[in-house]
Amino acid sequence: MFDASAPAAPLRLTDVSLTLPSAAGPVEILRGVDFVVAPGERVAVVGPSGCGKSSLIAVAAGLERPTRGAVILFGEDLGPLGEDRRALLRRGRVSLVFQSFHLLPNMTAAENISAPLEIAGDPDAADKARAWLDRVGLTARARHYPRQMSGGEQQRIALARALAAGPKLLFADEPTGNLDAANAQAVAAMMFDLVAETGAALVLVTHDTALAARADRIARMYDGAMVADA
Amino acid sequence: MPLALRFAARELRAGVRGFRVFLACLALGVAAIAAAGSTAEAFRMGLASQAGEILGGDVAITLREREFTVAERAALARIGRVSYAASAEAMAQSPSGERRLVEIRGVDGSYPLAGRVELSGAARLADALKPDGEAAGAAVEQALFDKLHLKIGTRFRVGNVPVVARAVLVSEPDRLSRGFSLGPRVLTRAEVVERGGFLVPGLPFGETARIALKPGASLVPAERALRGAMKAAGPTGYRLHDRTDATPGLSRLIDELEYFLGFIGLASLVAGGLGVFGAVSAFVESKTTSIAILKAVGARGDLPRDVYLIQIGLLAALGVSIGLIVGAATPLVLGELIKSISPVPALFAIYPWPLARAGAFGLLAAAAFGLAPLGRARSTPPSALFRGDVSRRPKFGVEVAFAVICGAGLAGLAVVTAPTPVAASVMIAGVAVAFGLLWAIGWGLAGAAGVWRGRLRGPLRIGVANLAGSRSAARTAAPAIGIGVALLAAIVLIQSSLLAQVAKVAPATAPSMVFTGIPADQAARFDAALARAFGHSLKSGDYLRAPFATGRIAGARGAAIDIAKIAPPDRWAYDNDISISAIGPEPKGATIEAGRWWPANYAGPPLVALSVDAAKGARLKVGETISLELLGRTIDARVAVIRKIDFAGFGANFPVVLDPAAIEGAGLDEVAEARATPAEEARATRALGVEFPTVNVISVREALETAAGIFDKLALAVRAAAAVAAVAGLLVLVGAIATGARTRAREAATLKVLGASSGQILAAYAVEYGAVGLIAGVAGVALGYAAAWPVVVQVFKATWSVDWAGVATLVLGAAGLAGAGGLAAALSALAKRPAETLRGE
Repeated sequence: MFDASAPAAPLRLTDVSLTLPSAAGPVEILRGVDFVVAPGERVAVVGPSGCGKSSLIAVAAGLERPTRGAVILFGEDLGPLGEDRRALLRRGRVSLVFQSFHLLPNMTAAENISAPLEIAGDPDAADKARAWLDRVGLTARARHYPRQMSGGEQQRIALARALAAGPKLLFADEPTGNLDAANAQAVAAMMFDLVAETGAALVLVTHDTALAARADRIARMYDGAMVADA
Repeated sequence: MPLALRFAARELRAGVRGFRVFLACLALGVAAIAAAGSTAEAFRMGLASQAGEILGGDVAITLREREFTVAERAALARIGRVSYAASAEAMAQSPSGERRLVEIRGVDGSYPLAGRVELSGAARLADALKPDGEAAGAAVEQALFDKLHLKIGTRFRVGNVPVVARAVLVSEPDRLSRGFSLGPRVLTRAEVVERGGFLVPGLPFGETARIALKPGASLVPAERALRGAMKAAGPTGYRLHDRTDATPGLSRLIDELEYFLGFIGLASLVAGGLGVFGAVSAFVESKTTSIAILKAVGARGDLPRDVYLIQIGLLAALGVSIGLIVGAATPLVLGELIKSISPVPALFAIYPWPLARAGAFGLLAAAAFGLAPLGRARSTPPSALFRGDVSRRPKFGVEVAFAVICGAGLAGLAVVTAPTPVAASVMIAGVAVAFGLLWAIGWGLAGAAGVWRGRLRGPLRIGVANLAGSRSAARTAAPAIGIGVALLAAIVLIQSSLLAQVAKVAPATAPSMVFTGIPADQAARFDAALARAFGHSLKSGDYLRAPFATGRIAGARGAAIDIAKIAPPDRWAYDNDISISAIGPEPKGATIEAGRWWPANYAGPPLVALSVDAAKGARLKVGETISLELLGRTIDARVAVIRKIDFAGFGANFPVVLDPAAIEGAGLDEVAEARATPAEEARATRALGVEFPTVNVISVREALETAAGIFDKLALAVRAAAAVAAVAGLLVLVGAIATGARTRAREAATLKVLGASSGQILAAYAVEYGAVGLIAGVAGVALGYAAAWPVVVQVFKATWSVDWAGVATLVLGAAGLAGAGGLAAALSALAKRPAETLRGE
């Protein structure tokens, strides 16, 4: 078992709330969420649709600013940081994988993997991208664009892109949600293997109970609140 | 390679789909500005290259109403080779008695010093001017051959001089520098003009000496020597032009036409700017996910902004380049077409400066309209990956600040490069205000649609709801179409008012005939002859006769006039010979603004009545004095009256009127004006040829018809140019339709699934876009009206006359074209199968 209270925890959310405006009035998305992830820990976040799981990732990764509460990422409070500072904080340490893959449509598979490395100024970005293509078994697809690949292939590229920079924390939002059973299983297996190999912590949002069961810990959400974390 | 450049290059591999309207909007405006500038430059270079021929030498000095003295001729001969030419207006009469006012021009043996006289029917000028017995040989313009039914070899008379038409005068090298002529030209030898009595002091004639400087002599010392030679004439007693300033009037006209046409191009760029704005907005919006991904993987906001800035910059450069190519090529094609008919020489070529200026306008417009939406690439949050309701409005930031700077730069460049910066500032401010108003109207329409949608049903409701939506064409296409319509409306209204003035108002108010050179001692006999020719007595409301001479206002309030201190539009009364009369009793309709007319029998110190416009330049008031140079003497007169006159109307419309005692004994010739039917005009012209052959008869009716024809042709060209701005507006509409095409297809598919008929869907779109066109048409016409009215009434002082058919065409055309665009969008959306469209979501 991991010691979640250890100061080296890459992620700590304290009393986090998120309220967003809408045409029909403000909507409470997250309500007083406390959530901690230890180094190398694999946490599955489960709950019904619309309970705030994806928003939890958005806030935790610094993509969305909470209305209230504190988000501490690698020991740094995101509250006072501007968008560019938060992007710098993520760079090389935090990665994301999405249900809809979100590959850059006008870049090839290799370029998609190398993009975050290039942004971080890594001079070996191209070599590393080739190596990661090989690890996810898509060397032959190096010069293919996302539209020329299947969903499973796209998600493997997305996974390679996420892990190429050697992140310490990987957020995965329904990474198998758009895949058929066989591809879902293959991608999930690859994700868990690679996370284990790199030692990155994993926050996995999923509806898939079998997938969630592979995590070290399962956190349950309901109506914007964390109702169980064990 | 920098990261942003690398990423931009990767993005560009996907092509530039969706940028056709962007490219067209920029290319259209740049092409219009470049074409106007290149054409004007071609004419300028053409005039400069032939300046010597156009002026007829290196320097030309013109005297009015006197010839050069022997001393002056001797002095001029020391400076270079001199050629003298004298011209006067006179009546030409055919053997059958038909008469026509002509300009008779006598030249000496050394004419022309530069260039060549083009003739038809004679090989050399000397052959054409060779006398035939008593008759002087002459080269005559084709118009006179036609008017008097002459043939080569026909004898006719100019004044009292018998002339034989030996050749058709096709062109003289120095014609352009001599300006407007009231009648066809008759070119003959100098002694014929002298012998014919046309050069008597007091008659309206002019003599010009054209001088070819000695080889190696430069202009400045030569002109200094010339001014010394002409010292006795006084500084205002002659006009001096050199080859660098051969056609000042024409050059000014070219500058102003270039600016006006370029301004229309600029307005097209502003209207098309909304197309640029829309295309960049749609482009950045389509990249929302990519921008958010880049940020999610650690990119700072300026990376995606720079990536798309590079792409948009390259596309802007492409659009501007296309415009420059079209703009540079247009004059070359035009040059080929007009080569044989243009009276103004032109050197059509590719000139870098007008192209550089047009390119700068295009790039500044692209930046002014494209930077603000590009700012969204920086401000789009990475949370857009999770939420689709991210604001599409540009946020204030460095990009908006630069957009404002570029907008100001665009206006600044337009002002700095204008021939009259003040007028340019007014025009640009007008466009900016109109644009702001149209933009506010567009937003207002979208807001009003949001209110009305709840009260409507069926297709109308769908159309109005779309009008209220976030992608409403009311906010983008309406202002763009409105600017185009406003420009067209302003031009249509100005043109229709001025044409009506020339074709309807002036013939009703102006005299139809003017007679000049009536000897004072035969005035009563002239009246009787004219009454006989008309077949009725002359009534005061239809006939007026008064003494006439031309002279100059040389001083005011006891000091010489300093022309530099007078605003250019008001200088006409001080740097030109102007019409002067002498009238005793207050004339009918004197429209006095200040002061009182002198008693009919006044015999005291000289008094003068000035027109408001003549008094304006020197800010003269009643009671102040002016010095008039008239018939070789100076008359100091006190301003007794300031009055309004209508140059185009019937009446004593002389800018300067003296009391008769002031010129007593001068024996001024008289002028007369009369209203007459065409039949009376023909009878009088013929009859006066017998009794008063030296009296010139000017047909105002004919002059007005000629003016209307020239004006109509010019207006057609200007109207065609203004249509460019309207096309830019339509391009923006096309862009708005193209941007929303995917949404429209989805919407149409959903409506079909819900049971809507194709007719209902078509009606909804026609309502939406028709409303945009209608509101843009009405607002555009209103703004065009506001712009045209002061130009017609204040600047041209013409009667305001609205071309309602033109206005209705513009409004209905805008609504119809926009509605048709909506229908096309709907048809395109309907052409897609619903299942296919919805599956693609």
